[in-house]
Amino acid sequence: MELLGRQETWNITYDHALGETASWFYTRIRDEAAIYGRRCAKTNHVLVPPRAFSDETLLPTTDWVKVGPGGRIEAFTMVYEQFNNLPDPPYAFGYVLLDGADTALGGYFKGIDLTDPHQAAKKLAIGTRVMTKFAAVRKGEMLDFWFELEG
Amino acid sequence: MGFRVQPGVIGCSIRPAIVTGQKSLEEIIYETSQLALADAGLTIEDIDGIVVASNDQFDGRAISVMMASGSVGGVDRDIMSTPSASEHAFVLGALRVASGQFRTQLVVSWSPTEVSSLSEAQRLGADPYFHRALPLDELSSHALQAAALEHAVPTARQAAEAIVAKNRAHGRIAFPTPILSTGAGPLRWPVMPEMTSTPVTGCVAMVLAAPDFIAERGARDVAWIQGMGWATETGFLGDRDLAQAPALAAAAKQAYDLAGITDPATAFDLAEITDATPYSELLAYDGLSLCARHDWAARTGDGSFARDGRLPVNLSGGVLTWNPVFCTGMIRIAEIVNQVRGKAGAHQHANARRGLAHAGSGFAMQYQAAIVLGREARS
Repeated sequence: MELLGRQETWNITYDHALGETASWFYTRIRDEAAIYGRRCAKTNHVLVPPRAFSDETLLPTTDWVKVGPGGRIEAFTMVYEQFNNLPDPPYAFGYVLLDGADTALGGYFKGIDLTDPHQAAKKLAIGTRVMTKFAAVRKGEMLDFWFELEG
Repeated sequence: MGFRVQPGVIGCSIRPAIVTGQKSLEEIIYETSQLALADAGLTIEDIDGIVVASNDQFDGRAISVMMASGSVGGVDRDIMSTPSASEHAFVLGALRVASGQFRTQLVVSWSPTEVSSLSEAQRLGADPYFHRALPLDELSSHALQAAALEHAVPTARQAAEAIVAKNRAHGRIAFPTPILSTGAGPLRWPVMPEMTSTPVTGCVAMVLAAPDFIAERGARDVAWIQGMGWATETGFLGDRDLAQAPALAAAAKQAYDLAGITDPATAFDLAEITDATPYSELLAYDGLSLCARHDWAARTGDGSFARDGRLPVNLSGGVLTWNPVFCTGMIRIAEIVNQVRGKAGAHQHANARRGLAHAGSGFAMQYQAAIVLGREARS
């Protein structure tokens, strides 16, 4: 028999509250071109991105700590597929442990030729030093910054 | 210390690759549940409670259990849902039997492919504060983990390639139909197309029962749950050492303690491991104490985990053969259930007395579970 299908497209918008901690983090990126983390007083760990509380100790974090702009790559991958509302592939992204931080921050890697993934992977090797770069015009969002190889 | 009431699995239905467009999702769930009940020799009237697991983003149904309740027999009955992971439905069902409050449970999980992009649906799993601007789907998370493993263990890639060959060979025995191919070029470096499989629609259901019910009904083909453990890692990937699996180590210890297992490397006749990529399987070897990471290359190279090896892993072909994304964890458990019950079909192990099932799900296997199943009620 004839089997039918039904296609649906939903377009729902969410207005997520960022809270005080993430709001302060993004306004510093926008206004100072700087990245801050939050310190857990019990472990002394600096959490980046910042959180109002540590999910390790369940205690409120206590103070802001400026981190970076230098750091080292903790994990990376190169993406060769198209995602909605993201850059045209290929591109690289991963996690960087910024100087002074105890947890790694996600972001894009730029300035690396990804044509040959084997060669690019050598340049993005875990442990490689990188520098945080900021856009000249910043909106207060994750795409305001990215990482490039140091030097 | 064992269970006060030890649950056994007496019915099972695995449908790892369902042709799409033929049946509605609710019809698929209904058929799979009925097959598991029939395998147990029961009807829904014999079931005290139901636990299901599904992913609303994949299903395109908010609180999808609302629609699925009728399919599994949940109308006017006890039914709960665990959207965190498919394996959690099994764990909750087993705990409910073990509590002594229920004599039987039906557990069901499914994973359709009706959404235009599973990757985009998975991105909703990332927090909306810091990570939605990244292409963070499950495959990206597995690739980040693979890169971390390659850095930590220089021979990891060699071992990963051996696992691909092994699981593909197992898959050809288990499912002689052609294996779905993938495209060319790296999907997410360092994960290559041959290290993954194309998502398919799948559904799995099992019937769990208490010892007195099993004795009363005279059920013979029983896979007893000898041990069970589960644990979860933090949600932010940047907080984790992706080359380690502490939650799996915790889950395995819980399961082994319950089962009285002191030497996991020699305790099992076979294992099923969630191999979203071969790197996932490698990390699980370590977390489950089956093979230390410094031995990965040697043991994958000498066939220790192949069909005729010391510990066959993924005789079903694993996720690398069929990848119904959300319910792959429960399918790993169901595969060991079928093996222990002697009902695994073409890939039946000759003497599957006790097996280990590993379920890892979420970003870079955030959720980890280990289940020990055996022919004997007590280990």
